[in-house]
Amino acid sequence: MPEIRARDRDSIIQALRAGVVPRVGLQHVQVGRAREVEELVKDVERISDGGAAIRFIIGEYGSGKTFFINLVRLVALEKGLVVMSADLAPDRRLHATGGQARALYAELARNMSTRTKPEGGALASVVERFVGKAQQDAEAKGIQTGQHIRTLLDHFQELVGGYDFAEVIRKYWEGHETGDDDLKTAALRWLRGEFSTKTDARNALGVRTFVDDASVYDHLKLMSAFVRAAGYKGLLISIDEMVNIFKLTSSQARSANYEQILRILNDVLQGGAAHLGFVMGGTPEFLLNTRRGLYSYEALQSRLAENSFAREGLVDISGPIVRLANLTQEDLYVLLGNIRRIMQVGVPDEALTGFMTHCSQRIGEAYFRTPRNTVTAFVNMLAVLEQNPGTSWQDLIGGVDVAVDTGDDMSDIVDVIPASPGDDDLSKFHL
Amino acid sequence: MNAFDRLALPIQKWIRDQGWSELRDIQARTVHAILDSERDLIVAASTAGGKTEAAFLPLVSKLVGEGRSPGSGFDLVYIGPLKALINDQQRRLEEMCRNTELDVHPWHGDVSGSIKKRARTAPGGILLITPESLEALFVRRGLEIRQLFGRASAIVIDELHTFLDSERGVQLRSLLARLELATGRRVRRIGLSATLGDMELAKDFLRPGHATEVDLLEATGDGSDLLIQLRGYVSGKRVAPEDDSAQEEHEPPGSAEVEIARHLFSKLRGSNNLVFAGSRGQVELLANRLREACERSSLPQEFYPHHASLSKDHREFVEQRLKDGVLPTTAICTSTLELGIDIGDVACVAQVGAPYTVASLRQRLGRSGRRADQPAVLRQYAIETEIDAKSHFADQLRLGLVRSIAMIELLLERWCESPRPDALHLSTLVHQILSVIAERGGASATRLFATLCKAGPFTGIDAATFAEVLRVLGSPEAALIEQGVDDLLLLGRTGERLVEHHSFFAVFMTPEEYRLVSEGRDLGTIPIDNVMAPGMALIFSGRRWEVVDVDDTARIIQVKPSKGGVPPRFGGDAGDIDDRITMRMHEVYRSEHVPIYLDSRARDLLVEARAGFAALGLDERRLIAIGETTDLVATRAGTATTRALALMLRAFGFMVTPFDGFLEVARNRIETTTLDALRTIADGEEPDMFDSGPTLLFEKFHPYLTPDLLRRDALSSKLDVSRARYVAAEIVNRL
Repeated sequence: MPEIRARDRDSIIQALRAGVVPRVGLQHVQVGRAREVEELVKDVERISDGGAAIRFIIGEYGSGKTFFINLVRLVALEKGLVVMSADLAPDRRLHATGGQARALYAELARNMSTRTKPEGGALASVVERFVGKAQQDAEAKGIQTGQHIRTLLDHFQELVGGYDFAEVIRKYWEGHETGDDDLKTAALRWLRGEFSTKTDARNALGVRTFVDDASVYDHLKLMSAFVRAAGYKGLLISIDEMVNIFKLTSSQARSANYEQILRILNDVLQGGAAHLGFVMGGTPEFLLNTRRGLYSYEALQSRLAENSFAREGLVDISGPIVRLANLTQEDLYVLLGNIRRIMQVGVPDEALTGFMTHCSQRIGEAYFRTPRNTVTAFVNMLAVLEQNPGTSWQDLIGGVDVAVDTGDDMSDIVDVIPASPGDDDLSKFHL
Repeated sequence: MNAFDRLALPIQKWIRDQGWSELRDIQARTVHAILDSERDLIVAASTAGGKTEAAFLPLVSKLVGEGRSPGSGFDLVYIGPLKALINDQQRRLEEMCRNTELDVHPWHGDVSGSIKKRARTAPGGILLITPESLEALFVRRGLEIRQLFGRASAIVIDELHTFLDSERGVQLRSLLARLELATGRRVRRIGLSATLGDMELAKDFLRPGHATEVDLLEATGDGSDLLIQLRGYVSGKRVAPEDDSAQEEHEPPGSAEVEIARHLFSKLRGSNNLVFAGSRGQVELLANRLREACERSSLPQEFYPHHASLSKDHREFVEQRLKDGVLPTTAICTSTLELGIDIGDVACVAQVGAPYTVASLRQRLGRSGRRADQPAVLRQYAIETEIDAKSHFADQLRLGLVRSIAMIELLLERWCESPRPDALHLSTLVHQILSVIAERGGASATRLFATLCKAGPFTGIDAATFAEVLRVLGSPEAALIEQGVDDLLLLGRTGERLVEHHSFFAVFMTPEEYRLVSEGRDLGTIPIDNVMAPGMALIFSGRRWEVVDVDDTARIIQVKPSKGGVPPRFGGDAGDIDDRITMRMHEVYRSEHVPIYLDSRARDLLVEARAGFAALGLDERRLIAIGETTDLVATRAGTATTRALALMLRAFGFMVTPFDGFLEVARNRIETTTLDALRTIADGEEPDMFDSGPTLLFEKFHPYLTPDLLRRDALSSKLDVSRARYVAAEIVNRL
């Protein structure tokens, strides 16, 4: 194992304590799932070679979907891809008519990251790189940069919405040339999907369209062509929390979103897209529920049906569905060991087993199905040990409280929840 | 500093433009109260007493001073019970805000989509909305609530008294609680109310559990005039034929109706009015008579029926005519159609037959006399029958007339029914569960419980009951909700369908009338809003019918003709009548006082009623044998108590006919005496009162609940068992 950088160490610990996935240094934490990772690495390579890929990462709440997706993201960045990532939310969907799809695009564009800018906000540098590269090439060929950019963008016009896209990039170049920062900012805002009316777009950039709800996927395809032109290997889109589609109240809205997924799936699997990959994370519910999940959409169910031969321990992870198996006891032990190493706290191995036993007694086997809370509790315990020399881990373990992971964030109505949770048992309510 | 000087300049200018010499007392006091503190407030004054201005003058002034930027959320929210009222307030507030750059956005079912969209994309100024449209905002735009209302400085609730005791009131309280949860802060509430005898009720409604933190300002001595007349009519007498109408000679004995129609025709023609006239059949009959009267006199038609069985087109036509106010129009509607008719401004309200609650009487009356120079007019018609020695006690006691008197007296005393504090409101709870789930796109059981039962109005529901309700809703048959793997509750198949339809947003419903069927023959329809069970009897078209079976879902009551004495000509109608009303009826019988609003015939009828009361010895005795096998029990209690007692007695095998404060108990099939049965009831050892499957479906979401939950809901709201025991003990001990 390589040495951990101090900066990485802090951010990993911060993230783990908050129960979120660290953005950097994942290799220090990662355990198990070697075959799944391998399969996704192949996908990334396919994308760089001009192919396309789509994967649905399916796992329970807290089982490490986000962790896994982030790992894939890091691999992709290492391989020279551009990654756009976002979580779906009630106001960010794949398809909508009230601006929610544009909101998803805007979020994706805001979180665009490259190898040099892994934490997001890389759109400006991607555009800058495109312009810089065009400038260099033009000088090498001895032609006008503007002329060269025009040539580079020529084939964009074949794509849906490509004309205006190319026009916006040209405007950026114009701003670059004339030192008009307003024009550059406007072009970037357009690319980030921040225009919401035709009038604004026309006044600022002279184009008649903007990224709207109906054209989100077309713009993602344009973006993949653009990052290629800027010299990157391809574009990976990672979308997490797909369960938000499942939760939509209107059945029409759900169908429309699944239709959008179907369109992407068809495009990718039939070779209609190039240098473009999708990774989508969701719970088994989102996939399997035949009333409101992906399987409720007939056309998707037949395409995504899992290999019926892969059962009883046999696996097939080459299909679009990647099921994240639960962590085993051993995996969890290694995981806790990794965390101990990152935090550099000296506790004996018995502390790890002791902690695991305690957890399984407290909340049963569910605790290692959802590593998030277990990890958070463990990090907290180590933090106390670190800051209070002389305390022993045996004293602390009894006081460790691991909460069961549920989907609903109750922080906004915390005031009205009864102080003693004993008087209602609704938290474990099942129909 | 006086109140006028404290207002912002544009507002002062508006007041001067109105030509007001000074602010009214209530307005001046409200200005000070609103500008001095941030406390919740109730302004109580009569209709047209200037309440709206009182609240909005200082509220708008404050906003003008603060110079808020538009587009970041509504500054003031006004919640009104009627669309017509909102349209009216919109005109007045737009005038008032003309020089203040504050927008006024009306928002209800009739407001066009483009106006709503404008309000939604650039929210600011004053929003005028109905509870139903607010519900729709929560359901359809749950995520925008925080942005739309996050900045609101106050919520003004108009006609607060109309919300006190109804499903709609519970819904409104729930919405207010949810609004504060969504925005994460307390929003000042200002209630505008008619003056009630017990303002504590209104205070507790406005800020449940914190009534002491609500200030109250009551207008003194002002108020528009109230004109009331109670006219008595005796049916069974022939009237002299009117001009050439030979057909009226063949009219059945119901000539009182003819006389009433004639009187209505002469008094109401030429203005806008509302007439409430009992069941649908009676409405049609009366509307037909009035229409014929118009035709006979070659006058344009201006009387129209309005009830739930009529097509939407027809109802909208009538409402539109009333709203336009160009052509004089009178709508004749059923007594149960309280909120379904959205008309705010009429000259006179007429009521044929006694109303059920003082609250609804006040509400109806509040629709007239809304202009400053107009009095509110109530014309109450009481129909009684000719009596002789053999007449039924209900006719001899003139129950309908006396109830009308008792209600008008209580209305004049500003009394009002108070909601039962322990009522569960399970139907409304179901509605709100679905609404919260739709608002948030899924919610955990804990969140629902915290939102509705801790912060919201359903405080009477414990976690166990709540879980039971959720389970019922999640059962495969109901399919209103379902659960995801992460324990989040989502809308089920049926739930989605319900929530997507626009009819979901209203929690109240116009009660369906029940069809009476006797041996395969349709007798007609009657409205039933209280518990009815086999073994009870009801009076319909002058006959007594014994209930054989009730079918709640198909709304059919199977009856058979019942023997047992002369049936009363009238009575036995089922509405929720408060204990206080029957007590007041008792006092009316015992007193000598003759109210001045009675006409001469009504006065005669009252004298007869008092004579009948004395003849039966009812001022002392409470258990009287009025036939060989028939007893009369004077419960002196309202519907909840009397019905509970009726259900218990019925379980012994008696045939029971309930009246206002009385029960007629027939024991033709069993040996037990009424006294023994009452004694057993007083001891709490009676048979199961629910054994025969009584009608329990009254509210919108009742059909989804289990019999057990329905019983508990009925026991908490429609039936009062402990008081029934107490009454039984009282009667037994008196003997």
